[in-house]
Amino acid sequence: MGLSVLATSSLAAAQGPPSLAEVTRVLDDLYTSSASIARVELTVTTPRNTRTMRMRMWSRGEERALIVIESPARERGTATLRRERNLWNFLPRISRTIRVPPSMMLSSWMGTDLTNDDLTQSASYRDDFTGRIVGHSQDGHGWTIRYDANEGTVGLWRRIEFDVNEAGTLPVRARYFDRRERLARVMRFEDVREMDGRRIPTRMIIEPQDREGHRTELHYLEMDFDANVPESTFSLTQLERQR
Amino acid sequence: MPSTLRIAVRNLGRNRRRTALALAAIALAQIAVLAMDGLMNGWVEASLEGMTGPMMGHAQIHAPGWREEQAPDLVIEDVDALLARVRAVPTVRDAYARIYSPALAARDVEGHAVVVAGVEMTAERADGGLLEGLDASAIPDAHGALIGATLAREAGIEVGDEIALLGQGADGSLANDLVTVTGILRTPLDLLNRRGVILHLETAQEIFAMEGRAHEINVRGTGGVDGADALVAALRRVDGADGLEILTWRELAPELSTMLEFSGVYGLVVLLIVFIAAAAGVANTMLMATFERRRELGMLLALGTTPGRLVRVVLSEAVVLGILGVAVGTICGVALVLYQGHAGIDPTTWGSHDESIDVAVNGLNWGGTIYPYLRAVDVLPGFLGVTLVSVVAALWPAVVTARLEPVEAMRS
Repeated sequence: MGLSVLATSSLAAAQGPPSLAEVTRVLDDLYTSSASIARVELTVTTPRNTRTMRMRMWSRGEERALIVIESPARERGTATLRRERNLWNFLPRISRTIRVPPSMMLSSWMGTDLTNDDLTQSASYRDDFTGRIVGHSQDGHGWTIRYDANEGTVGLWRRIEFDVNEAGTLPVRARYFDRRERLARVMRFEDVREMDGRRIPTRMIIEPQDREGHRTELHYLEMDFDANVPESTFSLTQLERQR
Repeated sequence: MPSTLRIAVRNLGRNRRRTALALAAIALAQIAVLAMDGLMNGWVEASLEGMTGPMMGHAQIHAPGWREEQAPDLVIEDVDALLARVRAVPTVRDAYARIYSPALAARDVEGHAVVVAGVEMTAERADGGLLEGLDASAIPDAHGALIGATLAREAGIEVGDEIALLGQGADGSLANDLVTVTGILRTPLDLLNRRGVILHLETAQEIFAMEGRAHEINVRGTGGVDGADALVAALRRVDGADGLEILTWRELAPELSTMLEFSGVYGLVVLLIVFIAAAAGVANTMLMATFERRRELGMLLALGTTPGRLVRVVLSEAVVLGILGVAVGTICGVALVLYQGHAGIDPTTWGSHDESIDVAVNGLNWGGTIYPYLRAVDVLPGFLGVTLVSVVAALWPAVVTARLEPVEAMRS
């Protein structure tokens, strides 16, 4: 809601660079809302095969999320629950729930190029990073904004560079630099469409830089930003009841 | 020269006791060098056998990239057929197919990071296998698992518990299953102790969607650690092995080779000390011999013997003394090492009896009996070194002799 207002105001002042505060807000709030339900298609490509999964995602604020796999059939009902920095996986085949230990947070989530950590990260660009507008992005159609992790911020990334569009209303590309300042991951935001009243990139492509030929594509099929998601959705008992 | 040599030998025979003492000193030095070399060889081999032990083997076969990426889908296809052909290679002593998959294991809801090892349990009970010495009755049934002792303690897992495993299948799917813990494995292999969940190969293949496939073929050759290069060359010729990565333990663990070089340097230091001792012995003997014979040498000079010839006589004496000493030392030293190599040395008996000195370094166990042995080249440094040292040590007495003033020398 606030976003459309923002978009209009930014367009009006398209000549100069956008305001840092506004861009940061766009990036922080792009996919979040007080409660949302989404359907997502995830395509994982490795040099040797490609796998597609469909899943439903419920979320409340930034701290609660539930992801349930719908297909392929073999993994149907497998669920991941996130509460704050905790992550549980529910495995219907063996009717067990397993909490992911801290030592496994950097491991792959469900075989994708996302880590368990990505799912529990609720880093806010406003609070955890210091932003700076670097200048026009390299392709010339927008701006590059650099976010340096604040001292004491726990997380994978030392620095994240965003390319945003001319008006500063949409991300185009993000480059993630790890603690050793190496480019570790590039994320592209594509297929901007209106979904439930918001213009958002509906396709995100994640390419880890250290593993050639690997990529994960996240495609939003449906999005309800204003859903009714009760708190009870995010309980362990509910997790095991999911089918 | 033969006459010079004859005179030299005769001179050595003049004071037999002193010559014998010098000989004994040099011989002892060579014995020390050889005993030390033998022990070092035996220790290095025992350590390498221990360290290249069950986990590393002498050589490993993988799909290219598996070691770096550990991706579950980098597998050896049709592993049974390849394994049979590998086992048929004459220089192969043992070969085992293995699966290593990182996974989450949970007794209740708390997950623990583990490594699931799918192994041929019955075969791996043999010497050099991952389950070396395991009792046949301890082998679990098809859906049973052995758990590393440290992991079991930390995760609170006990025999009889049903634990959930969650990992990634070779096809990218989610691998998850329940297994029952039938035993706690206490092993010198650190990785298995801390993180190991050991399953039957077939069970692991089923859980991780790897039917007929494995991540590794672990090979031990008949040629020991030194035969690894030849072993790998033979493995590369095996039908179906082309396109796979086949590496020796040297390539798998370059740090072990570094350790070898270090032990070589250590041996060199000891050798140096021994040579200095030998040099002192030779120099002392020759100094004594020349001072004692001042009158006689002066007489020789007066009779027209050239100073050069006198130098040669003294040097010859020294070299003969040195080589003779080394020869005696070599005979005794080789005999000693042969005996030790036959009997074996068990370092665990050196300390008090109930205190084992088994040491685990980098998760690998050291210890056990050492069988010292010598290579032909181990004898060589003694001969060359002592000869050289004898000449150098005798140079001073020789030069003193050559500079003698005949008249003064005869008068003294």
